Amino acid sequence: MQKTPFKIFIVILAIIVGLIFIVPILWMLATSFKTDQEAFTAGLKWIPKVFTLENYQYSLAGNSDTPVLQWMGNSLFVGIIGTLIVLVVDTLAAYGLARLDVPFKKLLISIFIGSMTIPWVITFLPLYMEFNKFGLLDTYAVLILPYSANAFGVFLLYQYFRGFPKELEEAAFLDGANKWQVFVKIVLPSARPVIWTLAIFTFMGIYNDFLWPLVTTNSPEMRTITTGIAIMQQGSFVSSPGRLMALTSIATIPAVLLFIIGQRSFIKGVNQSGIK
Amino acid sequence: MRNTSWKSQLTSSLFVIPYLLLFVVFLLIPIGYGAWISLHNWDLLNPVHEFVGFKNYTKIFDSNSYLNELFFEGLKNTFQFVVYSVPLLVVVGLGLALLVNALPGKFKGFFRTVYFIPYSVSVSVVAIIWLWILDTNSGLINQYLQKMNLPLIPWLTDMPWAWISLAIATLWWTIGFNMVIFINALNDVSEELYEAGSLDGANRWQRFVHITLPSIKPTMLFVVITSTIASFNIYGQPYLMTRGGPGTSTKVLLMNIVDEAFKQRQLGNAAAMSLLMALIMIVISILQFRITNRKE
Repeated sequence: MQKTPFKIFIVILAIIVGLIFIVPILWMLATSFKTDQEAFTAGLKWIPKVFTLENYQYSLAGNSDTPVLQWMGNSLFVGIIGTLIVLVVDTLAAYGLARLDVPFKKLLISIFIGSMTIPWVITFLPLYMEFNKFGLLDTYAVLILPYSANAFGVFLLYQYFRGFPKELEEAAFLDGANKWQVFVKIVLPSARPVIWTLAIFTFMGIYNDFLWPLVTTNSPEMRTITTGIAIMQQGSFVSSPGRLMALTSIATIPAVLLFIIGQRSFIKGVNQSGIK
Repeated sequence: MRNTSWKSQLTSSLFVIPYLLLFVVFLLIPIGYGAWISLHNWDLLNPVHEFVGFKNYTKIFDSNSYLNELFFEGLKNTFQFVVYSVPLLVVVGLGLALLVNALPGKFKGFFRTVYFIPYSVSVSVVAIIWLWILDTNSGLINQYLQKMNLPLIPWLTDMPWAWISLAIATLWWTIGFNMVIFINALNDVSEELYEAGSLDGANRWQRFVHITLPSIKPTMLFVVITSTIASFNIYGQPYLMTRGGPGTSTKVLLMNIVDEAFKQRQLGNAAAMSLLMALIMIVISILQFRITNRKE
């Protein structure tokens, strides 16, 4: 249908736009292998004159104030546990609301969906005070639990379960299976793609969150990588672009790889979530 | 719904109860608690919290109170960011989606991934990368400007450049998400409409205006509302990139709320400010919804 010159023009345009997205990341990588002296010298060197791994060694070694590996571990830990909690409670609730005889079902559904319109800023300070009251600031609990109240996953899965054909479940009920068995053996396996989507959304949300972990933690060993490198940027690494970029690269590469692997499900999920 | 036994209702409820508990503890109770705090003179260091009614709110509207300036200066700055960033987030997001869709099939997936990659990094990484690119002396962009004998730009230390820098970094970071949503919407526009348009002699632009845009209107609304909410909640970018500067010109409302809560320790004031901010956000979302869906 389209003429060839137009196609070529579009591809070239796409490459130029692509460079805008990639250049900042390449410049970060280039700087991370430079000595600070070279980094500060003007010269637009994309390949370092003196190629050094010292920045990576230094950043990874850390010390008691900047335990970088611990921060990475914290982020992975709260991201994974937080996501697991969301997946378990959300799939259960969504299935119950979509299919089972839960009392006050209609009311609950409208409250949950309505809650998604409430700006997050409303709960931010009182949540902080709630955790403060129970002495749970600066713990893993404060970094994990608040994300579990979000109704997005319930809504996403609810929509999916509503559209799921009833016949399979009914056949299983006739065979004498109970609700729990039907849920575990039939419903969950069928929902794998949408669960995977919710997992990616949730993990990225927790892993990349900034303000909440920033105000609710203060000891160096409780920081997440996102807040940790922000503190390094304003603190001990402020005059060392090489080290800062090495640290940033370390934090970025796993996220980007995970994202490239998971993005197909993510995009499929955007489609399924009815966002259109 | 058919009547079912209480036993069955009980076992069904067990499915919902875990989420319901978390919902109550980490969402409903905080909402009520926040409203309660906002009605008190709540100093973080003072164990006694005096009930003051709506005084924290009236202070925000009283031009003699420092809260008035804190709230409305912050709001003005947040509004500026919303006004600069949202149109870009929507238009560029749609532009990228159209670009990806116009690509020959085998390139589509690749470029969609490339444009989407920055979405996976965290705000502190975004800030550090862009600070280093926009740095006045050793930054990448200014080095190229220097090479071409152009004047250097004070990206982060002068207005309106500070806003432009924040908008660029935000765009780079989050535009991929809007693009993906638009790509999905574009793929759902019926081919038949386009074919009918072509038969009627409509050119590319006419087809875009008369077929594509009306078909993706609900998506457009969704992207506008979510981008507006996200831009209202901006915190990390100015906190890390400009630290609210130059002066306090990029100090957004959320930064002022956090400072009032944790630096001044006046939680009652900060809670009142949060509630007002949320109210403004809700009103704006409703307005955007109304304007888009009004009868024509």
